[in-house]
Amino acid sequence: MYTLIHAVLGYLFMTLMMRILKRRPGAQLTPFEFVLVFLVGGVIILATVGDDRSITNCYGGVIAICLMHRLINRAKLKWPRFADLVDGKPIVLLANGQWQAYSMKQAHIDDNDVMAAARGKNVRNLDGIKYAVLERNGGISIIKKSS
Amino acid sequence: MSGVIRAILGYYFLVFMMRIAGRRPGRQMAPVDFILVFFSGGLILTTTVGDDRSFVNAAAQIAAICAAHYMLVVLRSRYPAMGRIVDGTPLVLLEHGRWRHKVMESMLIEDADVMSSARDQGVENLEQIDYAILERNGQISVITKDSE
Amino acid sequence: MPAIHDTRPIEDSVPKINDELAVGSDLQFQQRWEKLESIIWIFLFIFLLLSLAGLFGRGPLSNVTAQAPDASMQVDYERFERFSTPSVLTVRVNPASIKNGQLQLWVSDSLVKPLGNQRVIPQPERSELGAGGITYTFPAFESSASIEFQMQPSAIGKSELKMRIPGNSELDLNIYVMP
Repeated sequence: MYTLIHAVLGYLFMTLMMRILKRRPGAQLTPFEFVLVFLVGGVIILATVGDDRSITNCYGGVIAICLMHRLINRAKLKWPRFADLVDGKPIVLLANGQWQAYSMKQAHIDDNDVMAAARGKNVRNLDGIKYAVLERNGGISIIKKSS
Repeated sequence: MSGVIRAILGYYFLVFMMRIAGRRPGRQMAPVDFILVFFSGGLILTTTVGDDRSFVNAAAQIAAICAAHYMLVVLRSRYPAMGRIVDGTPLVLLEHGRWRHKVMESMLIEDADVMSSARDQGVENLEQIDYAILERNGQISVITKDSE
Repeated sequence: MPAIHDTRPIEDSVPKINDELAVGSDLQFQQRWEKLESIIWIFLFIFLLLSLAGLFGRGPLSNVTAQAPDASMQVDYERFERFSTPSVLTVRVNPASIKNGQLQLWVSDSLVKPLGNQRVIPQPERSELGAGGITYTFPAFESSASIEFQMQPSAIGKSELKMRIPGNSELDLNIYVMP
């Protein structure tokens, strides 16, 4: 029984940690952050399993986590404020030639990250960008001037 | 139960659970999805390793998991029905300016998610979109009105 | 150039909608699948509830106490054990069973092999093999005593555990070990 509660708490804790890291991972997870996630995750897993390594225990834990995942997804759809809390909102980084400096500082993203994303979309330099948006999943979307 | 049997069982169980845990929109794995996968994998591996931390056990289990994975891949390519069960099917979300809202509700997707994927492809607003399709891997493909 | 029999024509291999967009979408399948998913989740939820209740070990439904027919001893044990997971079985003895400052307890072999007995607390003075099990002898005072067996099951399935204080009635326990 403790495993199930522990699994749920561990999942929530990890989610919170990911949000606090503020650099939203996925697109820009540096090796350092990767190591951190693995390490913390590993410790939490060990603590969750405890001395009970049976199938009943661990599979039950996985089921509990997946159930929570589903419930959270449903909650995100029902309560948009909750979704903003968990995922965040898209943030405009560059609009019509003006860097949104405050947003960029908050998100810990610098000009190079945006330019890297732009190069990925076949844009030569900053002049070719109309809008740059930091999406909820961490990726940067580029709207080109030519389109 | 030997480690090899547990490894194979654990692999198929994970595939099964990830399939029914819910498909999230977005090309990349959102943080929550990453945690889900990571945590679940970690829990399962403690059942397979158990007390036996020898190299032989680990090698045998890895081989077993790879074999199980290969089996799944072969079955998936041979039988389209299997492919639908394992991966799911693409779903149309937006067609000629009208939302298929029932589909979107059941897949827990909002208009904003579609727009987010559209922006990723360089589209500015919803009017430019002809079709929006939820792919099997969760990616949302946007076909604009001026495409081939 | 590959030979002609190594290739095949495009030929609508990905079904189209509206005769223009090749999607290969199977909405019927998806709706049937979603119903199946809901049913599966109900079962999984029930599994979680049963697990919390202790049906698979380590919970209220699993911690039981059994008494020997002539009340010579009581055993607190887990009806459902889990494979290779530590657990404790406690035998509480009626003072009347203590004779000559000694307490003897016979347990069947199943305590060792499938149920994986690791330790006996307190340490017995003597352990004798025979009669399909082991007889432990403990020096004891005249008040009620309890003996602890620390277990770690090594085999899955149903195990029958028998216990007896020589001269008294036998206690028969069924223990199920979950994988």
